[in-house]
Amino acid sequence: MASTYEPIATTTLGSGQGLVTFASIPATYTDLRLVYTGTGSATIPFALQFNNDTGSNYSYTLLYGTGSSAASTRGTSQTEGYVGNVWTDQNTIIVDIMNYSNTTTYKTQISRANSAGNRVAAWVNLWRSTAAINKIDITATGGGSYQTGSTFTLYGIKAA
Amino acid sequence: MLNVITGVHGAGTPPVTNSYESIATVTVGAGGSGTISFTSIPSTYKHLQIRATVLESNDGVMGFRFGNGSIDSGNNYTIHELYGTGSSASAYAATAQNNIGINYNYSASPLSSAPSVAVVDILDYANTSKNKTLRALCGVDYNGSGYVRLDSGLWLSTAAINAIDIVAYSGKTFNQYSSFALYGIKG
Amino acid sequence: MATTFELISSVTVGAGGASSIDFTSIPATYTDLCLVFSLRSSDGSDYCGLKFNNSSSSFSSRQIYGNGSGAGSTTRSNNDLTAVQTPSSYTSNTFSNNAIYIPNYAGSANKSYSRDSVFENNGTNAIQTLEAGIWSNTSAINQVTLVHPSATFVQYSTAYLYGVSNA
Repeated sequence: MASTYEPIATTTLGSGQGLVTFASIPATYTDLRLVYTGTGSATIPFALQFNNDTGSNYSYTLLYGTGSSAASTRGTSQTEGYVGNVWTDQNTIIVDIMNYSNTTTYKTQISRANSAGNRVAAWVNLWRSTAAINKIDITATGGGSYQTGSTFTLYGIKAA
Repeated sequence: MLNVITGVHGAGTPPVTNSYESIATVTVGAGGSGTISFTSIPSTYKHLQIRATVLESNDGVMGFRFGNGSIDSGNNYTIHELYGTGSSASAYAATAQNNIGINYNYSASPLSSAPSVAVVDILDYANTSKNKTLRALCGVDYNGSGYVRLDSGLWLSTAAINAIDIVAYSGKTFNQYSSFALYGIKG
Repeated sequence: MATTFELISSVTVGAGGASSIDFTSIPATYTDLCLVFSLRSSDGSDYCGLKFNNSSSSFSSRQIYGNGSGAGSTTRSNNDLTAVQTPSSYTSNTFSNNAIYIPNYAGSANKSYSRDSVFENNGTNAIQTLEAGIWSNTSAINQVTLVHPSATFVQYSTAYLYGVSNA
C-alpha cells in the first residue's frame, strides 16, 4: 500500500557542488518536502529553479531574526526562488512545496532556513507558473558551493 | 510477514506502521465555498495536521473553528501572530474571537493565481484534559506584497476535536482549486 | 519498504509532574528525528532546556519571537531556554505546541536543528518563536531530554519522538 509520506530521492555530496538536481519528479503526490542539512563554502543562497525556468518568475517574502533584531524583507522578479541561505556552520532548511502538481495555480513554497550562528528565518516563495513541477534545481548562485557531506532529501506527501 | 504474525500473538517484533496518515481532503469546486468542513474525525490519532493551499475571494484570513459534534462558533478563541510584511516584523494578539484567523490572503488582485499556503499542527487534539492549541506556519507572496507568518491560536475547550470548520473571511468564499488536506499523526 | 515517519516513543507526564522528559536508546536507524511536545509548567517558567546525550554543553541558538505586542530576536550560547512551555499563571488547561526537527542526527557532523514553538493564552501575552539551534558535537544523538529549569512539567504534558527515514 502506498504510504502518505514517502522519500523520493536523496543526494549526499561527496564533494562541493553549486547545483543539485531532482528530476523526473512523479506527479502522484500532493505536496513535496525538501530537507537539507549541511554547510556552505561561504554565505550562499539556497535557491530553487523549477522545470528549467530561469526567467524572472520568482519572488519571496522573508521574516528573519539576526539574534539582535527581527526584520522582514522581500525580493521581486527574481530568476530563482529563494527559500533560504546557507552559511559555513551546519544549517537546517525545510521547504514545503505545496500542491506542486496542480496545473491551474501558481506554486507557493514555505520554508524554515536556520543557521544557529547567523540567522533564523521563515520564507515564502512564489513561482509564477501553472505548470506541474517535475524538476527542481537547487542552486548556490554566485559561485559558492554546498560542501561535502551536505544532504538533500525530497519527500512526497500524498493526500487522500 | 513473520513479524506480523508474531506481533499478533504478543511476542516478537510488532509490525511497523507509518505514523502519518491522510484522513480526508477537500478541493473547492466551481462557485467556491464559504466553509470547509471535516467531520467525524477519528480519535485514534494523537495530532492533526492540515496542509492548505488557498485562493480567497476577498482580503482576509482563513478561520478555524472546532467542535465535538457541533462546531463552537462562540467567542471562545484567541489568536496570536508573529509575521513579516516584507518591510517589518510584527506581532499581534486578539481574544474573544469566534474563530482562529490565520494566514491572511489577498483577493483576486494582485495575483489571482497565487495561492497562500499553511501548514497547521494541533497536538493532542483528542485529549480531554487540555484546551486546544494550534500552530501554523503560513504565508503568501504576490511579487511585491505578501506575508510570512507563525500564527498560534487557542480554543478554550477541553473537548476532544472531532469536527473542524475552516471559514473564509467575513462571509466570502474560498475560490475554486483551493485545497485543504487533513492528516492524522499517531502517537 | 521502510516506514518514512514512525513513532519511536512517547511520554505523558503523570500526577506529581516531572522535572524532565527523557528519550533514551534512540536507534541510529532513521535519517532525521522529529520531536513534538506539549508542555505546561508548575511555575512561571515559559521556556525549558534541551539536552542531547545527557549533555548541556556546546549548544547555541538564535531565535525570533513574537509576544503578542512586539517582535524581537535573541541569541543564546547554552541550552537552557530552547523550547516553550505555558507558565502556571496563564490560562488553565493550556499547554504549549512545539516541534523540533533534527536532520541527520546519527551522522558525523555537528547537529543543527530547527524549532517552531508557540504557547497560547487568553490574553495579549503569548509566545510564537522560531529557532535555529546547533549542538556542536559530532556524536550520533542517542538521547534527547527536555529539562525544566526550576520546577516541573505538570500532568498531561506530553512529548512524542518520531523517526524519519529517507530510504
